[in-house]
Amino acid sequence: MGAIQGFEIRRSSASLHGSGTQIRTLPVVAKYIDTSTCIGCKACEVACQEWNDLPVAQTEQVGTYQTMPSLQASYWNLIQFREVDYQGGVAWLMRKDQCMHCADPGCLAACPAPGAIVQYQNGIVDVDPEKCIGCGLCEPGCPFDVPRYSATNAKMSKCTLCVDRVEVGLEPACVKACPTGCLQFGDKDTLLAYGKHRVEQLKTGGFAEAAVYDPPGVGGTSVITVLRHGDHPEWYGLPKDPTVPTTVSLWKRILHPVGFIAMAAALFGTLGHFMTVGPKKPKDTARTSGGEV
Amino acid sequence: MSEASVSRSPASPGPSIMRVALRREDVAVGDELIRHRMVSRVIHWVVALFFMVALLTGMPIFSPVFGWMATLFGGLGVCRWLHAWSGIAFSVASLVMIVHWFADMKLVPHDLKFNLVQYMQFSAAEDPEIGKYNAGQKLFFWTIPLVTLIVLLSGIPLWWPTKFGYTLRQICILVHDVGFILWFVAIVGHVYLGTAAEPGTFRSMTRGTVTSAWARLHHPKWFRDVTGDRKE
Repeated sequence: MGAIQGFEIRRSSASLHGSGTQIRTLPVVAKYIDTSTCIGCKACEVACQEWNDLPVAQTEQVGTYQTMPSLQASYWNLIQFREVDYQGGVAWLMRKDQCMHCADPGCLAACPAPGAIVQYQNGIVDVDPEKCIGCGLCEPGCPFDVPRYSATNAKMSKCTLCVDRVEVGLEPACVKACPTGCLQFGDKDTLLAYGKHRVEQLKTGGFAEAAVYDPPGVGGTSVITVLRHGDHPEWYGLPKDPTVPTTVSLWKRILHPVGFIAMAAALFGTLGHFMTVGPKKPKDTARTSGGEV
Repeated sequence: MSEASVSRSPASPGPSIMRVALRREDVAVGDELIRHRMVSRVIHWVVALFFMVALLTGMPIFSPVFGWMATLFGGLGVCRWLHAWSGIAFSVASLVMIVHWFADMKLVPHDLKFNLVQYMQFSAAEDPEIGKYNAGQKLFFWTIPLVTLIVLLSGIPLWWPTKFGYTLRQICILVHDVGFILWFVAIVGHVYLGTAAEPGTFRSMTRGTVTSAWARLHHPKWFRDVTGDRKE
């Protein structure tokens, strides 16, 4: 599936046209995940595999309820189980691991293939496999360790937020399948307000540090997560303050300009040298002058 | 290149200089000197070809500003593997080149007297002790294995993304890019000095020959060695 034609593109990888190419502001969508009402049934995983026609992945016994260690190129949605010592007992934490659809996506910034990673106006970050060259540079560019390079097709893949369903007015497959309503889909502002309300409930219920995870370091995400232990996102396997990696900024914001300046200096430097100092020719003979290069 | 300006003296009935240049270098034939025999020239151009392919397939990956270069090879997807293979080919060819030129490029104590800034003035008095290669040429030559190694080693994790960790790959991107920038600057200087800046030089890599006047000007000691200190 290529980029969805009906959606306006806000940002495109390796684009020379800058970002924010559209004048219109369309509502940003979001997926809302309430970890406090998730029962770990994994219906979302099944729905994801089914809708996206992904092959059944082999599970791997890692000694906990975890079915496999991490996301795979053909497994875009995985419930992460974590056991954490908490107040003399154990906090049994579940989190839906998937692409966070960052407002400022590190994968997109790191991608060298024009149009291979696009961000639609509605905030969904999508991959166009036809334009992906399989370099894998998006993997270290992602602060959430989401994109997966597959040797099978030499492309990267990840959750698309079911952009093909959203396009026709449906919610993502995982949201459709969720039996507890811990997954919601809709306008981001509305869901943030909904999350805030839920956080207040959790605070009243004894979780004073409850919070909505919408990290500002990546401009916020279009997958927002309600955490009981909002002060410890790392307990859930989420980075505390994710940002686009420094190396990506170093590379794109420092090395690129430095490179262009150096290249221009080399080219214009030689031209300037030729115009001021000129060629070095044997002085004594006329027959070596001109033409003889 | 004007072929007409290259005169074959009717007074020297020996074998054509081009034929001699197939196998021998550092010899004088008529008013010309053979600087690079055929094998040297072939090695140089094979290295140059792989270099250019690696450069032109790498630049569109470096920045979309150079995206048009990818169309020369059939798109960025082709560049993704052609860049890696041409890089390997370049490294191998460079190794052959280094072995081939090793003896000529050995640094000698006199090379320490070389001053690049002064040299580029093109007006300073000629150093009569400059042999077949001056210290600037040697410096460029020895930069090749150094940068090749850096760029080759940093390129391997980028070629096989699944085999290496994220941190290593992030560092490799930066190192690979720095290597590329250094190389671009160096190659511009190399091409400039070999063509426009010093007329009579380019033919030493095509025909393999240079004129006596050129040799006396740029490589006086080499001229004396080859001609047996023959006075003009």
